[in-house]
Amino acid sequence: MADHPTTSEGTALLLDQVTVDYGRVNALTDITGSVAPGQSVALIGPNGSGKSTLLKAILGLVPLRSGRIEVLGRAPADARADVAYVPQQESLDPEFPVSVHQVVLMGRYRNVGWVRRPGRADRAAAHAALERVGLDQRSTDRFGTLSGGQRQRVLIARAIAQEARLLLLDEPFNGVDSTTQDLLLGVLAELRGTGVAVVMSTHDLAVAHVACDDACVLNRHQVAFGPVGRSLTPDHLRQAYGPNALALVGDGAIVAHDH
Amino acid sequence: MRLLTDPFQAGFMQRALIEAVLLGVVGGVVGVHVVLRRLAFMADALTHTVFPGMAVAFLLSGSLYVGALVTGVASAVLLTLLTRNRRVTSDAALAVLLTGFFSVGVILISRSHTYTADLTVLLFGRVLAVDLAEIVATAATGAVVLAVLWLLHKELVLRSFDPDAAAALGYPIGTLDLVLNILITLVVVSAVKAVGSVLVIALLITPAATARLLVRRHVGLMMAVAAAVGAIGGWLGLVISYEGSLQHGWRLASGATIVLTLTAMFLVVLAASAVARRRHRPDEATDESTTDHPLLDPHEPLIDDAMAIGSRP
Repeated sequence: MADHPTTSEGTALLLDQVTVDYGRVNALTDITGSVAPGQSVALIGPNGSGKSTLLKAILGLVPLRSGRIEVLGRAPADARADVAYVPQQESLDPEFPVSVHQVVLMGRYRNVGWVRRPGRADRAAAHAALERVGLDQRSTDRFGTLSGGQRQRVLIARAIAQEARLLLLDEPFNGVDSTTQDLLLGVLAELRGTGVAVVMSTHDLAVAHVACDDACVLNRHQVAFGPVGRSLTPDHLRQAYGPNALALVGDGAIVAHDH
Repeated sequence: MRLLTDPFQAGFMQRALIEAVLLGVVGGVVGVHVVLRRLAFMADALTHTVFPGMAVAFLLSGSLYVGALVTGVASAVLLTLLTRNRRVTSDAALAVLLTGFFSVGVILISRSHTYTADLTVLLFGRVLAVDLAEIVATAATGAVVLAVLWLLHKELVLRSFDPDAAAALGYPIGTLDLVLNILITLVVVSAVKAVGSVLVIALLITPAATARLLVRRHVGLMMAVAAAVGAIGGWLGLVISYEGSLQHGWRLASGATIVLTLTAMFLVVLAASAVARRRHRPDEATDESTTDHPLLDPHEPLIDDAMAIGSRP
């Protein structure tokens, strides 16, 4: 968890009483917390709880009504080159005529700049990124022919190719089998070892426990933000999901149901 | 094979051939974006909104081209704004707009004495009557369109494939959409004299849809194939309409014959690819169900705002 030179204050992400309006409703009120380089935070809350809005705010894509967000010591809009957004693989058209390699190369586009085409160094970076997620041998295949978990790995490879210092993942483990989940967790752990901070929205509390240091429990307002052991308590989760939304499974892991 | 070249001895047939091939190439390339973005209905709306501008130009005996260009670009801007606002279902908004515009055009043109003949030209085009100036205009417009598509290729493809990531990287989605819509308009406008405002949509959609069946992994390659399909369709269509009319007395309208030729090419490729697919991979049907963007759902749309913000200075 060594400090990265670009983070003057040693913070990858700083949320200070972040409040966002969405249309006429308060989408988010008073979110406060911070993420250090190499640290990982889970955003836990039901659908419509403002997780996506918070991710958008971190990307500088929605204006804040009040409060402050600092990404790698900069304003969100100025930090986008160092922030990778990893969408749910299910949101992408599997029939789109694009190869795995081309998808990873997209992570280089901002570096390459408008109009110009990716060069040899960009291709090499894309290959290296694919290798790190173990999919280099699939690089010429059409993206849509891969399994859901493999597609998710390709999207993470794209973030690696971007050399992002902060990863924003939207439900990264949706529709992913447990083997792939382990693989993804391994890749994320490795990235965090190099100082990359991770913010992921998820419904899966077991994953949050395994993959994240901290959790932010929210439902339009912040219920708790802190180490998973202290934030993911049944009490907090009941506040976010409502009284009947929790189930105990297996060895005490808690899964939040979202109806 | 002289059958394929013989019809083009007369000057008007040569001009028609050049025009049809130019439009086939440019329409095919732009059409790839239209098909990948599922903008077929929106492109159709554009072809209708161009209509009143043409009607006005026609009545004032001004240039059809300029008239169509002005209304076309205006409606491209309007459509971009309308489809950005997801609170109005864009389908309904487009339908309202296109029928409204179209009716204005019909009312305008119906005031002319030669109503039926005029309407026929505007609706179905007259590729055999294309003159040199029109060919030059088509070539110039096509060059501009292809140049912009070439320059913005990676940005437009990224925006089509993964709009959320494009917004997250800071690309101005609204501006990219506007540029694409204007390019579509330019192609529609330059094609309208030749094939008419009703059939022009076929030049955009059919070659690209055919190419999509043939090319699976590369947008650039898909564009090349679509251009080839468009050009071949224009050429074959002219040959068929010429031979049919002259040798067999069928009186085949040339614009419509070009469109039918493209349709036939599409159907042949569709049948062939269905057969090939059944033979090679019988089980990939489940893969095709999820093509929507859950992030764009009404609960927490990312891209709406991304576009709103992206277009701010």
